[in-house]
Amino acid sequence: MKTEDNKNMSQKIAALVEKARGGSRVSFQELVSIFQEDIYRLAYYRTFSQMDAEDLTQEVFEQAYRKMNSLHDPLRFRAWLYSIAVNRCNDFLRKRKYLALLRIRTAEEQDFMNTVNDMSNSYNDRIEKKRFWKQVKSILHKLSAMEREVFTLRFMDHRNINEIAAILDKNESTIKTHLYRALNKVRGHSELFKEYRESVS
Amino acid sequence: MKAQKYVHLQEEQVLWAIIDEEDLAGDDRKHLRECPDCRRKVERFRDELHEFGQKARQSVPPFSGTVRLPGEKPAPVSHDAGWLSFFGATAMVGLVVFFSVMGMESMAPGNLLTLQNQESLLEDEFLMREISDMVESPLSDDMYEISGENGIGFDDDFLQFVVPDIQDDFQS
Repeated sequence: MKTEDNKNMSQKIAALVEKARGGSRVSFQELVSIFQEDIYRLAYYRTFSQMDAEDLTQEVFEQAYRKMNSLHDPLRFRAWLYSIAVNRCNDFLRKRKYLALLRIRTAEEQDFMNTVNDMSNSYNDRIEKKRFWKQVKSILHKLSAMEREVFTLRFMDHRNINEIAAILDKNESTIKTHLYRALNKVRGHSELFKEYRESVS
Repeated sequence: MKAQKYVHLQEEQVLWAIIDEEDLAGDDRKHLRECPDCRRKVERFRDELHEFGQKARQSVPPFSGTVRLPGEKPAPVSHDAGWLSFFGATAMVGLVVFFSVMGMESMAPGNLLTLQNQESLLEDEFLMREISDMVESPLSDDMYEISGENGIGFDDDFLQFVVPDIQDDFQS
């Protein structure tokens, strides 16, 4: 049933892509509404900043809209869009590194204050989220750039091996190798994967 | 019980099983199918990774913006803006009708302007009168008395003493 739904969704997306390539703004707008949350989350997992993630989401869709005709296979739209997003985020992170060297305050630091002052959640909830992101950062910090990318795409963006290979333009066995190395480093995290640690000890 | 014959999966194999069970060697795959302990280990880590992903998803602040396509104008601030202009126009028409019905011509914008002009003319006239009065008699009578400028109490000798004639200066 789920496979059937996925198939229908893929066909719907492919039809929208075809129309969008023909110049239909409405169809592209529909594609935006389908993918904007996913792309925003992808950007957030890499920048840890709401402001930056929102700006990047806007940029990703602008670029996709302009380069729509360079996509040859409508069925590969998702992977194509994700690859634009991943590249955009990497460019942005490189730029942010330089800014950090120049000691310019980044949106990530500002967002830290916003998270603290965010009144939409309870105090405990905010503390909990802050702690969680701190743990995420600490485990991602242990990984190489490629391992981090593969791990994030697999377990945070919920993409399968096949899709990750398409997004990063690598073969599946390379992706699996990086994923294995990432899991091998991550498994030792006592707080996030407590049960697993207990089961193997 | 049959699974007891095999050696349990190493941690490395558990990790490969999480990535893709098909990548395990034939015997390991068979063991994993039959051994509840190893199965549990794999499932546990897989579940924790899934939970981790779910928690990440829930911990992302909501997307508050709107994606705009190139060349697209910003959306109007509010859908009520149309209603606001409608009410504004209605209120204006209402005021015009009110003025004409109540016969308050003097309050009509044209008349208001004339009234304002008349007021300022009167004010100017009053000011000019005050100025001419002050030119004629800069001080009140009381002030003249105090200052002695009305000449009371000063005789010619005193004035001659204060302001001597020019001729006297030349003689001395």
